[in-house]
Amino acid sequence: MSARQAIKVGTKTVKPVLSSSHAEARNRVLSLYKAWYRQIPYIVKDYDIPKSEAQCREKLKELFIKNKHVTDIRVIDMLVIKGQMELKESVNIWKQKGHIMAYFKPTEEPKPKNFLSKFFSGNE
Amino acid sequence: MSFFLKRTIGAGNGVGRAILNSTKIPGVQRVATKSTEKTPVQETRPTVAKLDPLQKAQLVDFGKYVADCLPKYVQKVQLTAGNELEVLIPPDAVIPVLSFLKDHHSAQFANLVDIAGMDVPSRSNRFEIIYNILSLRYNARIRVKTYTDELTPVDSACDVFKAANWYEREIWDMYGVFFANHPDLRRILTDYGFEGHPFRKDFPLSGYVEVRYDDEQKRVVVEPLELAQEFRRFELSAPWEQFPNFRANPVTEEVVNPSEDQPKK
Amino acid sequence: MLRQPLSRALALTSPVRAAPLTARRFADQVQAQPEKVEVFIDDQPVHVVPGTTVLQAAAQVGVEIPRFCYHERLAVAGNCRMCLVEVEKSPKPVAACAMPVMKGMRVKTNSDLTRKAREGVMEFLLVNHPLDCPICDQGGECDLQDQSMAFGSDKSRFTDIHFSGKRAVEDKDVGPLIKTIMTRCIHCTRCIRFASEVAGVDDFGTTGRGTDMQVGTYVEKMFLSELSGNIIDLCPVGALTSKPYSFAARPWETRRVDSVDVLDPLGSNIVVATRTNEVLRILPRTNEEINEEWLADKSRFACDGLKRQRLVSPMLVDSRGNLTPVDWEDAIVATARALRDCPPDKLLAVAGDLADAESLVALKDLVNKLGSENTCTEQYFPLEGAGIDLRSSYLLNTKIANVEDADFVLLIGTNVRFEAPLLNARIRKSFIHKETDVALVGPKVDLTYEYMHAGDSASIVKDLATGTSSHAVARRLEQAKRPVVILGAEQLRGPEGAALLAYTQQLALKLHDKLADKSWKVLNVLQRTASQVAALDIGYKPGVGGALQGGPRVVYLLGADSGVVTREALPKDAFVIYQGHHGDVGAQIADVVLPGAAYTEKRATYVNAEGRAQQTLLAVSPPGKARDDWKIIRALSEVVGERLPYDNLDEVRARMSEISPALVAYGDVQDNNYFAQATALAQSLQKPLSGKLDVKLKQLEDYFMTDPISRASPTMAKCIQAVIKQKQSPY
Repeated sequence: MSARQAIKVGTKTVKPVLSSSHAEARNRVLSLYKAWYRQIPYIVKDYDIPKSEAQCREKLKELFIKNKHVTDIRVIDMLVIKGQMELKESVNIWKQKGHIMAYFKPTEEPKPKNFLSKFFSGNE
Repeated sequence: MSFFLKRTIGAGNGVGRAILNSTKIPGVQRVATKSTEKTPVQETRPTVAKLDPLQKAQLVDFGKYVADCLPKYVQKVQLTAGNELEVLIPPDAVIPVLSFLKDHHSAQFANLVDIAGMDVPSRSNRFEIIYNILSLRYNARIRVKTYTDELTPVDSACDVFKAANWYEREIWDMYGVFFANHPDLRRILTDYGFEGHPFRKDFPLSGYVEVRYDDEQKRVVVEPLELAQEFRRFELSAPWEQFPNFRANPVTEEVVNPSEDQPKK
Repeated sequence: MLRQPLSRALALTSPVRAAPLTARRFADQVQAQPEKVEVFIDDQPVHVVPGTTVLQAAAQVGVEIPRFCYHERLAVAGNCRMCLVEVEKSPKPVAACAMPVMKGMRVKTNSDLTRKAREGVMEFLLVNHPLDCPICDQGGECDLQDQSMAFGSDKSRFTDIHFSGKRAVEDKDVGPLIKTIMTRCIHCTRCIRFASEVAGVDDFGTTGRGTDMQVGTYVEKMFLSELSGNIIDLCPVGALTSKPYSFAARPWETRRVDSVDVLDPLGSNIVVATRTNEVLRILPRTNEEINEEWLADKSRFACDGLKRQRLVSPMLVDSRGNLTPVDWEDAIVATARALRDCPPDKLLAVAGDLADAESLVALKDLVNKLGSENTCTEQYFPLEGAGIDLRSSYLLNTKIANVEDADFVLLIGTNVRFEAPLLNARIRKSFIHKETDVALVGPKVDLTYEYMHAGDSASIVKDLATGTSSHAVARRLEQAKRPVVILGAEQLRGPEGAALLAYTQQLALKLHDKLADKSWKVLNVLQRTASQVAALDIGYKPGVGGALQGGPRVVYLLGADSGVVTREALPKDAFVIYQGHHGDVGAQIADVVLPGAAYTEKRATYVNAEGRAQQTLLAVSPPGKARDDWKIIRALSEVVGERLPYDNLDEVRARMSEISPALVAYGDVQDNNYFAQATALAQSLQKPLSGKLDVKLKQLEDYFMTDPISRASPTMAKCIQAVIKQKQSPY
């Protein structure tokens, strides 16, 4: 009986994905960022993409900043895991040029913002 | 205890029969499911599978045996569709329960047939992970079900079953359930750079992006989805659902439910 | 149809009503509640009033008993036998729809006997029913199909494939709306009962008996009713299906959107069925306060007019005077230039019959910002006296559902049957079930029930109001406990309109003063169009007469297609802007055409004749380059340089609620008062009346085409031809 209750209590408390504290999660994010940063020259060269290293670094920063509002350690861990996965796919050249360029979305046209342009483009 | 899973008729195995004969079988006669107190109706329809009451009794008894052996881990044992035994466990119990079922001499579920995922967004633990395992030794199947949410990792079954590796990768890919201590957890079905988990119920049927070859760029580009044609959606609810009163067939029946059994003792 | 659970309908008709409806019950109507009896449905106890049928009692505990012939709004027939249930101590199964409950009755709705009885009935029905579900239009929404799945046998004993074959019945021709495949008929007689009870056209009946029984009109005859489409919904099988919709789609592949009808002033609730951005059909949606579960034929079948004669691109007059398609940018800039260059007092905006409240608000705001006050509607209403300041002067104050409680209805200058068919169905309902009497001042027309005809001269109203009349109608009005006076808004157009309204108000006030129950409303004005009430609420001036005299330089027509504004009436150099969805009268005289959205293509607010705001939802997207109406005006305002302060629908609605909270109180209708004040203000207008009252819609053929949508509808054109042809036939 006590064991079962212990399990119930145990399942209620959150089980960490990887990190047990904010500091640890932060370290993981930073090391992922650094790993990407170091790989950028090789990615640019290997995939022969029409972007400079500076542009790639800017995009890397942008993609990390996009998630800066996340505070839940477990969500951070999940993002780190997925980032790690992407990094591995990129570094091992499992991806193709199109996959890398998908980060930059060059063919997307910006959506009309104000009322009139939405009205004229029929996008409303 | 192997008789629990023995198909008695046609089982020409001497050892099995010896055990069967030498053991008192009080459980076999006593069909102890809660909902089948009445004598079951004999199925006469030719298109409907007939249930073997003996097999069912054995499954019930094996289910109880599992619940008795692993009181800490088994939350509930139930029978689905009359002859499919299911063991419901918490996510922490995956390794011990699977190890028990694999290694116990009278179980020997050594064959992992499949791991399935299921998403029910209304539940607090929205994902169900379902292990289908097979005992070649006793020609029996059992289903182990556990639950989790988007962020709670489940222990990888790779240490118990080597076959779990790709199945768990598939579930990670399709549902986004993280398996702790998995040797090589990465995407298996989706394209590199794919975002989202397609089997989640909140993932739209059409997806978020479309992929095409761009002649100017000379490579494949990914763009937000724009459906040129209307998305066809069908009204598929059965019209005779308007008479729910005349449709009553519970699919599952409980075998053991410790949380309910406990207070009686 | 069974699709609506009986329990919901019962909730509204049983004596234990919801609070707002109880308020309608009046002192002398409240009877002592009879003792309730307890019955047991499948061992569940339920207390019901004596006289309730077993089927209704079962519905109260949530047990739906299968049925074909029973329908809660029609008389009980008890001939399909599908609702057989076992009752304890009864030797045979009994028909639940016709069996009143008795004390302590124990009903078993799912026992072996009941199931066997149902299976037997189903077998008999299917013996005489063709197996043509794959080519039947009812497939997927067929009660017979559904119930044979749920209750039928799993095997067939039908072996007679050699000589006699199945029963076959010749199809009947009942007009261009209803397709009949009479072999499929299971003789539930719902259509017969509907025709004689609700529609008031006793054309249907049965001939022959046994195997030879047939439902039909005996001689070939069109079903001459404005409510004929409802028998399609009522038919539980595929015997009566919709002709325009035949072989068009299956119910499971259509998308259904709840909406509101705008082709008559009642705002019936509808469901728009669409597929691949095309409106396929329109079905009624139950609303006990408005249309119950019926729908008038124009509302139901005119939807094919939404695909024809549409304006799909902005158009601008070129140097040769022809309208040529242009881009939105060009059209908006040209329009804006005209608006900006126009002196404020020479700008006129006219709202048409189908304009929604959002675009009305936007247009008024724009015109006001440009410094003009000239916004008006096509339909006239006297501005003298209280005018449109008091909402009670121009609404149907009694409310549609309450008309059922009236004991005397006086119609003045209105043919309710064609102006608001479902209001007429209500009056007929109370005429039949509650012995309500009806009197009519105006031309003699067929209202499907008997009425006292007081003559067609307007002075009769004056006599009634001043008490100088000796007509029988006057006596009946004196005695009435809950009288209702309905004045057709059409009569207010002429020079005597104001006086007629004044006298009607006085008459209503006089009747109201004598009533014991002061909450009863007597005065009603029945508007002709869906937009009028909202337009008056927003502050549009009714009628264009005065504004046209000023010689406007720029005229903005918001769907104004009634032909009130003509080229002849305008100065030569006037610039006409037309915004609307159909290339009708208005678009022909325009210099710029701005294509808008029809009611199925936008989320918009309409206020019905009672003053009840309701909204349509987007079912399909507007065709071509057409846009939401209020957005066109909003875009225009920005180019003119008088930007309207709303960018999305919520902001427009917020603006609407600033003008009148009633415009966004969806589904609600407020009680109106100040009848005495309105009458007092109108006192000075009481002048002698000499004219005759006349209505536009006299015959059924006048009913079908009244607005741009129905004028564009080929089905409606066929209806008119068929009615005219029927009139020439000897039957």
